[in-house]
Amino acid sequence: MKKLNEKRKEYLNALRVGWFLALRQIRRANKSTTALIIFIMVLTFLNLVVVSGLLVGLIAGSFEQYREGYSGEVYISSADGRDHIENSQALVTFLENHPKVYAISPRHTASAQILGTLNDLPAKDERANSIGARLNGIDPELEEDVTGFSRFIWKGENLDPSEEGYIVVGSNLIKKYSSFADANIPGLSFLEDVDIGSRVRVSMSRESGTVSKDFIIKGIAKAKIDEISTRVFVLDRELKRMIPVNKEELQEISVKTDYEYAPILVQELKDFMGPNEARIQTSDEAIPSFLRDIESTMNVLGNALSSIALVVASITVFIVIFINAVTKRKFIGIMKGIGISPSAIQFSYVFQAMFYGILGSTIGLFLTFGILKPYFNANPIDFPFSDGILIATWSGSFTRVAILLIVTLVAGYLPAKLIIRKNTLDSILGR
Amino acid sequence: MIRAEKLVKKYGSGELELTVLKNLDLEIKDGEFVAIIGPSGAGKSTLLYQLSLLDGPTSGEIYLDRQRISDLSEVEKTALRLNKLGYVFQDYALLPDLNSIENVILPMLMQGMTHSKAVKKAEKAMARIGLSDKIHNLPAELSGGQQQRVSIARAIAHDPHILFADEPTANLDTASARPVMESFQDLNKDGQTIIMITHEEEYASKAKRVITLKDGVIVSDEKN
Repeated sequence: MKKLNEKRKEYLNALRVGWFLALRQIRRANKSTTALIIFIMVLTFLNLVVVSGLLVGLIAGSFEQYREGYSGEVYISSADGRDHIENSQALVTFLENHPKVYAISPRHTASAQILGTLNDLPAKDERANSIGARLNGIDPELEEDVTGFSRFIWKGENLDPSEEGYIVVGSNLIKKYSSFADANIPGLSFLEDVDIGSRVRVSMSRESGTVSKDFIIKGIAKAKIDEISTRVFVLDRELKRMIPVNKEELQEISVKTDYEYAPILVQELKDFMGPNEARIQTSDEAIPSFLRDIESTMNVLGNALSSIALVVASITVFIVIFINAVTKRKFIGIMKGIGISPSAIQFSYVFQAMFYGILGSTIGLFLTFGILKPYFNANPIDFPFSDGILIATWSGSFTRVAILLIVTLVAGYLPAKLIIRKNTLDSILGR
Repeated sequence: MIRAEKLVKKYGSGELELTVLKNLDLEIKDGEFVAIIGPSGAGKSTLLYQLSLLDGPTSGEIYLDRQRISDLSEVEKTALRLNKLGYVFQDYALLPDLNSIENVILPMLMQGMTHSKAVKKAEKAMARIGLSDKIHNLPAELSGGQQQRVSIARAIAHDPHILFADEPTANLDTASARPVMESFQDLNKDGQTIIMITHEEEYASKAKRVITLKDGVIVSDEKN
């Protein structure tokens, strides 16, 4: 027990002397060298957190846009094998009276054929200027409360609840505005020669025959959400008139609630509706699985890049400490000569390495959460399929800081140990 | 008290083997001021490294206060150097990142002394060698003589049993060397055991006992 206490005392004393030496070596080190090392550590931290955060943010940005711009926090759609949500009106009433539901957007949707040229019928060997598209019937005011639909109106104006006969067309359906127009994708067609003010004919095939109605294009909606940019929108009451049966049954309801509350609301709705009446999902569940796969891939890619960054960081710290220890080999020998324990000298180098790691990470955290994250939130990176944001959480970042510090600790300890174990006299005499 | 018995130190092996110390016997009692002199290659420094535990002999034994050194591990030797020995190196060997007082308190901190107590003792040691006004100077801001005196302060501040000095005046001019030698004499008057290597007979004459080495053996051992 006495021996153990002595060992403990020796160890604590070595820590104290190591700290004493490290503090003075850092304080009196060359300022520009210290700044350079810290700069490298900051870059390493950013490589660990920001690069992977941006990669994941590319996809997470599209998830966020989907939630904010279309699905809401909870998305209700027709169950498999059904063409509408059963008991839609009872569900709407339930949602309207729910204290945690802030807004809902009930929608009718239907497949439709949009004909772009009404005056000239195509010649025999000519393809008609028409496309198949999903037609959404919306209440512009309710839609605005849930998704802020008007912000997607890129040209022209939004639908007005008091005006009938108007249509908003997704930009990817019109050749001159579509991002895919020059991609030459087989089977993909666009409306040509239509713009704001053009008259288009919407046709829906029914068992009783085809129902058609002419609309004037009032606006063009552009968003990095397929459900906006590849659909057409008319007033809900106009679409209802075109649907022959089940006019009161909806195809989609987007619900605005608290993000954290969404899973609870989903369960409440399932309990209310029964298991087969509708597909009820949180926005995260509603995201297509291929996007989830991309997210996983981005995560793997981000982790791979982080691992490389960690290796680079550990080599950097190793080299810095090794050079530092080699150039001070004589003084390490002198310290050992006058009785300073090897562990105290090792601690001094480990403390120095930790200083670089902690300061670099602290500056990195400040840059990430104080500057970069707010910046990318305010100015997302404009990718074709999403607005990339920076995904960085405090818990995730602290985990990476911990990993970086462990790597730094090892990278600081090893070179110091290598130099310190050299013969004392050889070190003093420089041989 | 330090004693060497049949001390042998060899370097290299085979045809290149060189025996620097040859069956050397020596005893230095507490309170002595011993100068070891001799021509280059006589084995002076090698003897000092063995006696001061910085290096180990090829054969033979060293006893420090009746404790056999060959039984000790490296860690124990380091602790012994810290607690019982003091060193003054030819090139001062001050740590460049520490100022004078920090250089002096370092061994005492390693002994577990509190910072304030170590500083008090260091200030006393600095005053003793006449450098009270230089305690916050970095080594680079001191002259060679001043650095060597700080080195002496570091060597004596923790009250070692034996103070080893390896050609302490070799890098100093006469004016700078004088106060260094005076410091040694003052310390010895107060009972400090000193073992010093020197080339210069003038400084050897300040010691109470002069041992002359030649080709690894003691050729004379005289009291002044």
